[in-house]
Amino acid sequence: MQRDLGSLPLAPALRARLVAAGFQTVQELLETGPCGLSKEIGISKEEALEALQVVRQECHGDAARTAGGSGATRKCTALELLEEEQAQGFIITFCSALDNILGGGVQLTKITEICGAPGVGKTQLCMQLAVDVQIPECFGGVAGEAVFIDTEGSFMVDRVVDIATACVQHCQLIAEAHQEEDNLKALETFSLESILSHIYYFRCRDYTELLAQVYLLPDFLSEHSKVRLVVVDGIAFPFRHDFEDLSLRTRLLNGLAQQLIIVANDHKSALQEGKEHSSTFRLGSAIGLAAESVPSLLP
Amino acid sequence: MVVLRAGLCPGLTEEMIQLLRANDIRTVVDFVSSDLEDVAQKCSLSYKVLVAVRRVLLAQFSAFPANGADLYEELKSSTAILPTGSPSLDQLLDSGLYTGEVTELMGAPGSGKTQVCLGIAGSVSLGLKQHVLFLDSTGGFTASRLYQMLRARAEDEEEQLEALQRIQVVRVFDVYEMLSALQELRDRLSQQVVSSAGPFKIVVIDSVSAVIYPLLGGKQSEGLAIMMQLARELKTLAREFSLAVVVTNQVTRDSSTGPLKPALGRSWSFVPSTRVLLESKEAAWEKATTQRIASLAKSPRQVRLPRPVPLVMDKQLCDLELASEQREGPGGRAGSGLTG
Repeated sequence: MQRDLGSLPLAPALRARLVAAGFQTVQELLETGPCGLSKEIGISKEEALEALQVVRQECHGDAARTAGGSGATRKCTALELLEEEQAQGFIITFCSALDNILGGGVQLTKITEICGAPGVGKTQLCMQLAVDVQIPECFGGVAGEAVFIDTEGSFMVDRVVDIATACVQHCQLIAEAHQEEDNLKALETFSLESILSHIYYFRCRDYTELLAQVYLLPDFLSEHSKVRLVVVDGIAFPFRHDFEDLSLRTRLLNGLAQQLIIVANDHKSALQEGKEHSSTFRLGSAIGLAAESVPSLLP
Repeated sequence: MVVLRAGLCPGLTEEMIQLLRANDIRTVVDFVSSDLEDVAQKCSLSYKVLVAVRRVLLAQFSAFPANGADLYEELKSSTAILPTGSPSLDQLLDSGLYTGEVTELMGAPGSGKTQVCLGIAGSVSLGLKQHVLFLDSTGGFTASRLYQMLRARAEDEEEQLEALQRIQVVRVFDVYEMLSALQELRDRLSQQVVSSAGPFKIVVIDSVSAVIYPLLGGKQSEGLAIMMQLARELKTLAREFSLAVVVTNQVTRDSSTGPLKPALGRSWSFVPSTRVLLESKEAAWEKATTQRIASLAKSPRQVRLPRPVPLVMDKQLCDLELASEQREGPGGRAGSGLTG
């Protein structure tokens, strides 16, 4: 409880007042209480109460974590992580050479970046992955849904229809060859309509919309818990033009990257609180990126 | 700048505080630096009581000077040097990572920082049988790669699994979560009776720039404040509990052809005592490996060598990289940049 006030997420003006009044640790703050606090630093009682609530939440979070409770930053040993990783599935790309390089396919809970010159096939690959993530488990897939965030407007539905039809045919051939019950049952629900209805498409026209969409993603994902793939097609595109303040651009991109990492990881831990078996739920992300300016965008 | 409160020390009552406050004495510093005879007259308090209170406050709040010889003895008995798992890197760091200090690994994306961190975690856990705390802020911790490294070093499966259990991984993606995790570590370590026999000997943070970068820059100075808060926390943890702290950082360039320099600016450059720059040199294609070069950018002990040292990871690691190349077959060429 000897935590320094500077390490808490308080508003800067409030923090400046607290420091000027001589408060240093959380202990002192909590001992003063809201009335004393509002008198000491000259803020209203409501603001003081709010501030104390934030502080209590942080410290309660600390205490819960020390006691071994589960929070957003769940601790685990490397051994537990290894077991989780070994039980994880991959999203196959249907290109064996690519799957080999990636070690089995696109990994879940990680961010995969695809870079290339225009016209090389990034959007095609993204569309393929959005279909492949839905392959039922008995055929070797992860049976998930997909979110497609499009910033360039290059998503072609008729192409997705072609890809989905081919995928369904491929699975039908496998089912006919092996004649297993599970396969035939799974094929009943795996059809063109179901594939298309499980791709959630968002169109973002500028960087504000993209940032807003990514920050709203956790809420969307908690409602649609079967999503296993988030595709952002053209993450650099909205940031390339009309950006005078380069340091702002770097800051925004870094913030965006961290938010995406949180989305890829957090979803798993949120679900682990409710479910026993962590192996059934995973989230994967793939980002398609325009290549030329990648080195200048990375810090 | 601690505020005077009732019960701060015996003899300091509520009425005394009210009287002192009426005379503009609100914090410990004000009290200790004021003329007590004057205060006794103005507040009509007993001089003896004030002197006693001042003595207790000084004992409680002032820093005590330490004798250099005592400090040296203490350092000799509490400092440990931890191996990084790579003999050439150990040589660069003057035999390894020193506890009580912050060491920084910096490099461009893909230069091998996370791999070196995994190697360090594995080597400390397996070789020294000490606990490791790994704070992962990029999502780059891959347990299967760590397992691969451990399998190459130890034959016994029991040992490998035990080593994995000694490494604790905390995923923190936000600077406040990182500070909470460090606070939790501090609470846990201070509950141990003897500080040098604590469960953890090393804290690896991969990476520190990922959580700070979104806050730096622009007109607000909040990012800088929180960065210095983190810096202070890391240094005090390292010093007080004799931990070795390893952090990773990114690099930037001033212009597209300028030399590489560490990210996070000048203020952060004073935080780590040792800095190692990792670079990857594309070796000739027939070798099909990427060589990693480590050079010392800042060190309190070593003379900076004029030319960098090639980082040859343990033979087992090199073999493992080659093995995965061979598995890929004809697709391997394109993939060599992704391994390791």
